[in-house]
Amino acid sequence: MELLRRWWKPIALLTLLAYPWIYRAPYYHLLGFNVLLFAMMATSWNIMGGYTGYKSLGHSAFYGLGAYLVAVAANELGWNPLVSAPFLAVIVALVAVLLGWIMLRTSGSAFVISTIAMLLIFRLVALNLREITKGAPGLSQPLPPWSPEFSRMPFYYYILFWLLIALFISWYIRRSRFGLGLVAIRDDEGKAEMVGVNTTLYKVLAFGISAYFVALGGGVWSYFTSHISPVFAFDIIVGVDMILMTMLGGLGTLWGPVLGAFILVPAGDFILFTFGSNTIYLAIIGGLMMLVIIFMPRGILPTIAEWIENRRAPRIAHEGAHSMAEMYDQSKGKTVAEDESSHERTASH
Amino acid sequence: MHLPSWNVLIQVIIIGILTGGVYALMATGLTLIFGVMRVINVAHGAFLIFSAYISYWMFTIFGLDPFLSIIVSVPVLFLIGLIFQRFVLSRVKGDPGLGVLLTFAMALTLEGVMGSLWESTGRSIRTAYTSEVLAIELSGLTLRLPWVRIGGLVAAAIALAAIYFFLKNTNLGRAIRATIQNRSAAQLMGVNVESVQALTFGLGLATVAGGGALFSLIWTFNSGSHEEWISKMLSIIVLGGMSSLPGTFLAALIMGVTESVAAVVMTSYLSPIVFYLILFLTLIFRPQGLFGVRIREG
Repeated sequence: MELLRRWWKPIALLTLLAYPWIYRAPYYHLLGFNVLLFAMMATSWNIMGGYTGYKSLGHSAFYGLGAYLVAVAANELGWNPLVSAPFLAVIVALVAVLLGWIMLRTSGSAFVISTIAMLLIFRLVALNLREITKGAPGLSQPLPPWSPEFSRMPFYYYILFWLLIALFISWYIRRSRFGLGLVAIRDDEGKAEMVGVNTTLYKVLAFGISAYFVALGGGVWSYFTSHISPVFAFDIIVGVDMILMTMLGGLGTLWGPVLGAFILVPAGDFILFTFGSNTIYLAIIGGLMMLVIIFMPRGILPTIAEWIENRRAPRIAHEGAHSMAEMYDQSKGKTVAEDESSHERTASH
Repeated sequence: MHLPSWNVLIQVIIIGILTGGVYALMATGLTLIFGVMRVINVAHGAFLIFSAYISYWMFTIFGLDPFLSIIVSVPVLFLIGLIFQRFVLSRVKGDPGLGVLLTFAMALTLEGVMGSLWESTGRSIRTAYTSEVLAIELSGLTLRLPWVRIGGLVAAAIALAAIYFFLKNTNLGRAIRATIQNRSAAQLMGVNVESVQALTFGLGLATVAGGGALFSLIWTFNSGSHEEWISKMLSIIVLGGMSSLPGTFLAALIMGVTESVAAVVMTSYLSPIVFYLILFLTLIFRPQGLFGVRIREG
């Protein structure tokens, strides 16, 4: 247990690095890519939905915008998608900052609705700007130059690299003053404002950052599938998947979104294979989301951490010597976060 | 973009008003539910499609006229609403964003179930009178109005009048209005807020069942259509001021006419964008809508 706690991160990383060489069938590469892609995007969504508490249902808008920017740049300007995606995602993040600056005047359910409206507007525009997007049939782009057998391996490592970056940023934000401000906004926006947090600036920045990796994911995905259309690029379900993964793993924790992606992407594939139907997949995803919201709104990691805490508490009082709970502490989950923000509040009084 | 002739424009506006009446009935339940629960029921569109499917089934299997199929769909949806609020939605307290996510999850579940039951083919009901048209000659103008639309408006008006009478003159109606105005005060006055909430959700879905029956006569639908329709209903109630019933009615008429005119002025592909833009702009620049409360924090 002790060993596992100390070494799980390097072990996990090595496993992920070795994975495509152990499981060589193309399907496993596809699965691995999807898991890492969604882990990255859920981590990104979590910065807004988890840390700040503003739950956007419209993040697919940034996914689709990233996908289209990368595809158009590849077709018209000949830019290599894997090089251009991180830069074009900056543009999407700026768009998100601009829209966020308007939309974040609302909160709660009004905010959720405005994000849905944003997504639907994006989709309609993509459907109708036929000169650029080719409308409903969609847009193709050149296939990767490397051999088809390995075509998925570079994507896998590329997205693994960006997942690590996203995790680092999420971790860094959470332990910074900025992150404390975000959590304070989630817990009580009025009080946060009173103690001197520039709430508008913080929220808008968090929205932009959380759009960045989703846009990057969309860009990489568009190169990966090589054909995109408005209905799939601006599919609300992509955003729903990010939310569900984050909430299942642990809303507002560092590792929760990753855990959620590692559970739900394979589970989703399993459901699709077993039933072979999109509609049953929808029903199961929806049902699961309802169960998570009702019975485990905090997610797996915080629930397990609390359970272990309660079980161990009488014997080992202050050691916290258990991997899950410490993982949770490191991720600066809710309890720690509340302690800190209340410290900050008392400090500034 | 092109401007239509007067003849066409007047026809389009009247059709828009007829459509707006049906929109009003569809969106009334959403307004009631938001007023009492302070939760935006994103599953409203899915329930609308679901009740349209019930009417479709009643028509294809038993040959029951959609106007009459409400004797099945209204009680069914009332019960579903009662149960959903009492045992599911009431468990989520505090964060209104979470309530929205929950109803959204319900919409997805329903979409999946409906898609499995009825596949993704677009359905619509064609009765003997579907293509009948009322032609009116008015000082040189010829108006051609489909009977289905006129029947839709009349049925919607009757249903809305019944709801209005119910809210004004019954004890439960008073309790619902009191809860909309001030939940804690209502509770202090002895209103059992929990039952009122469950009954309101049931009532809200019962009205959407009525809307769904009319809907199935006029529009083509499949399990995925709810996304488009919930956006329309949301823009209506946001424009109307969220918990105001007269506001909803007026906004529904405005939206019906705007959409109808936009469809001839712009392409009909792009015309739904009018809804989303109005929704977006109202939320941001006039969150209290036409008449109503500010809901930025809703």
